[in-house]
Amino acid sequence: MNPLALEGVEFHYPATETPALRDVSLAVAAGEIVALVGRVGAGASTLLLVAADLAPRITGGRLTGAVRRRARSGIVLPTPWTQLSGMAFTVWDEVAFGPANLGWPGREIARHVERALERLEIAALAERDPATLSGGEVQRVILAGILAMDPDVVLLDEPSTELDPAGARALWRLVRVLAGEGKAIVVATSDLDAVPDVADRVAWLEQGAVRALGTPDLLAEEATCAAGLGTTVARVWRAAGLDAPYPLTVADAVQRWR
Amino acid sequence: MALSPAFQLDAAGFSYGAIAALSAVSFAVAPGERVALLGRNGAGKSTLVRLVTGLLQPDEGTVRVGDWDTRDYAPEDLARRVGSVFQHADQQLFARTVREDVSFGPRALGFGEREVARRTDDALEALALTAHAAQHPYDLPPALRTLAALAGALALEPAVLVLDEPTVGLDRALQAQVAGALHEHVARGAALLVVTHDLAFAAETLERGIVLDRGRLAYDEPLATLLASTERLKPLGLVPPPVAALSVALELPGLPVREREAAHTLARVAGAEPRP
Amino acid sequence: MRTRHPFTLLTLAAALPTLAWLLPAPAGALGTAAVAFGLAAAAGVRRVLIPVVTAAPFWLFLFVLHDLPTTLAIGLRITTMVASFVWLAAVLAPDRLVEAMVVRGWSVTVAYLFAATLSAVPLFRARARRIVEAQRCRGLSPRGSVANRLRALRALAMPLLLSALHEVDERALALETRGLRSGARRTPLAPPPDPALERAARWVVLLVCIAALVARLV
Repeated sequence: MNPLALEGVEFHYPATETPALRDVSLAVAAGEIVALVGRVGAGASTLLLVAADLAPRITGGRLTGAVRRRARSGIVLPTPWTQLSGMAFTVWDEVAFGPANLGWPGREIARHVERALERLEIAALAERDPATLSGGEVQRVILAGILAMDPDVVLLDEPSTELDPAGARALWRLVRVLAGEGKAIVVATSDLDAVPDVADRVAWLEQGAVRALGTPDLLAEEATCAAGLGTTVARVWRAAGLDAPYPLTVADAVQRWR
Repeated sequence: MALSPAFQLDAAGFSYGAIAALSAVSFAVAPGERVALLGRNGAGKSTLVRLVTGLLQPDEGTVRVGDWDTRDYAPEDLARRVGSVFQHADQQLFARTVREDVSFGPRALGFGEREVARRTDDALEALALTAHAAQHPYDLPPALRTLAALAGALALEPAVLVLDEPTVGLDRALQAQVAGALHEHVARGAALLVVTHDLAFAAETLERGIVLDRGRLAYDEPLATLLASTERLKPLGLVPPPVAALSVALELPGLPVREREAAHTLARVAGAEPRP
Repeated sequence: MRTRHPFTLLTLAAALPTLAWLLPAPAGALGTAAVAFGLAAAAGVRRVLIPVVTAAPFWLFLFVLHDLPTTLAIGLRITTMVASFVWLAAVLAPDRLVEAMVVRGWSVTVAYLFAATLSAVPLFRARARRIVEAQRCRGLSPRGSVANRLRALRALAMPLLLSALHEVDERALALETRGLRSGARRTPLAPPPDPALERAARWVVLLVCIAALVARLV
């Protein structure tokens, strides 16, 4: 059984007539990476909140349909600095915050924290005060904090926005490593050019509904390109008046060119 | 130089305690120039921005906005010439309506009500926010709050516009809106300095690239050549953005770094008819 | 100071204002204010306190309502309160307070409520600074005449409050994401040591306060 499955989910935020999610069905397998793409406001963040059991439980609102969770999930919000506990004087304590809340024994916590710090390459920051960190560092500390809780489902909302290009590349590498360990991963991202190398499947959200669901090749199709949601290479190919199907990546384009 | 610079740094340096965040940086930006400030996290970009806005004073060298030395002016005075939007701009809104927030700047600078209204309306329109003008900033989604913060800076109609990561959280359509508003502004003679990690946005909207590496100026050259050069970008932790990478891989003549140019060049070489 | 047991720090931070109000003014209030300031200075937060406490509008307001000795007394007492609280926020890691409370059997939710109040201070300061900077870059001057400063203060108060309220919503959500659930048993990461000497010292301080209260009533 899948670690996460949404079936026919419709969700309204409190006191809002327009649904934020309409008839959304999405199942994510262990070890799979699903990317959510769409315009701002299309519902990707809401979908992640529903998957994380934060909507409607904490956000309020109405949900119909079914959400089946077989495992623990962890979510990194697009505003990671709001996820800082505000109660830790060091990064180590900050990362340990989650596991401590779960009531794990001390040695277990230490093991998970060390591992998380290593994975996010922030071991050097362990003694720093979280309040003095840069945006990119905070994003990594929060991700470490979430990973330290050992979730089976990892939900990421725009995880690369605060990172510089090298940091973003390291992040996507880590995402693939996590999937390799059997975690189910759903990531909402506007970095469409990174998607083909990272995601197994792509869900295109439009006004709360899943307009299309498929492999990353979706981002090279006419419809997505026309909507401004294709990869850059696909868009340029299309704008040049060349025929569909458009190449997805630079490598594809080179192949096509020969 | 025929035109006197909109702003310039002369061997400017700044240290936080013992750590030199910026040292010996020199460059001048003319009115109408669009500059991308690039570099790794920690390279000194935000420090440079703070020097230009007057929030920090250089420890060495000088920073001049027009003929004003920033050491002689407080940030609220420099606001007459420098409009700025910092990171997480959506957290800096403070009025009860979007309109009130956007008009804050011109009002603080002492313009008359009519002038304030004109500037506010123009700025709101440039960013397609007129429909949201009466709303409370926190009722807007974060992406639109970012646009509102930008409108606030545009309403100052400054000679120098400094933006720190303005496209974070914006989808392509909103980015295009921002690019359009910036173009309009620059066309009227403003100088533009944008700190960004989004090399694709830089390629499309800006022309000159200033790259910082560990507090020093590494490169100062047209983006058209910089972004296509893997050898120069790699040691800085950067890679050519998709269009540049495509041009290089396909060996397109002229190595275009912008989508439109690349599409046209591609069409020409392939013998196809580009879309309008 | 930071290594003292959280309850010791709490006791001290509560005792100083208590004594300030109980001891005869203005000498008593001056004494406690001096102690509070001294502690704060040692903790490195002196710079933030000075402008807050010497804020002209605050003293002016008092003086309008009372005569000089009363103004001094009330002013110094409030100063002690503020200084004690700011000092506490600087030296007490909220998570250590939570640990100390949880170990003693307090519920996790109550413990976090205490801690959140403390941690609000540095967050507020950081946010206030960002807002002031953004406002200065839009032309608002926080310096100069009293009228100017009052205007600047007003321009700061509203957004700070609004964003704080907005943040409460976000924080509730965010803390949930970090596994915080009421009723859960949290593992103390580093239960603070509580040497007998400190516990005795706390009792002494408490007795001093009671003695002052009794002396005041009698």
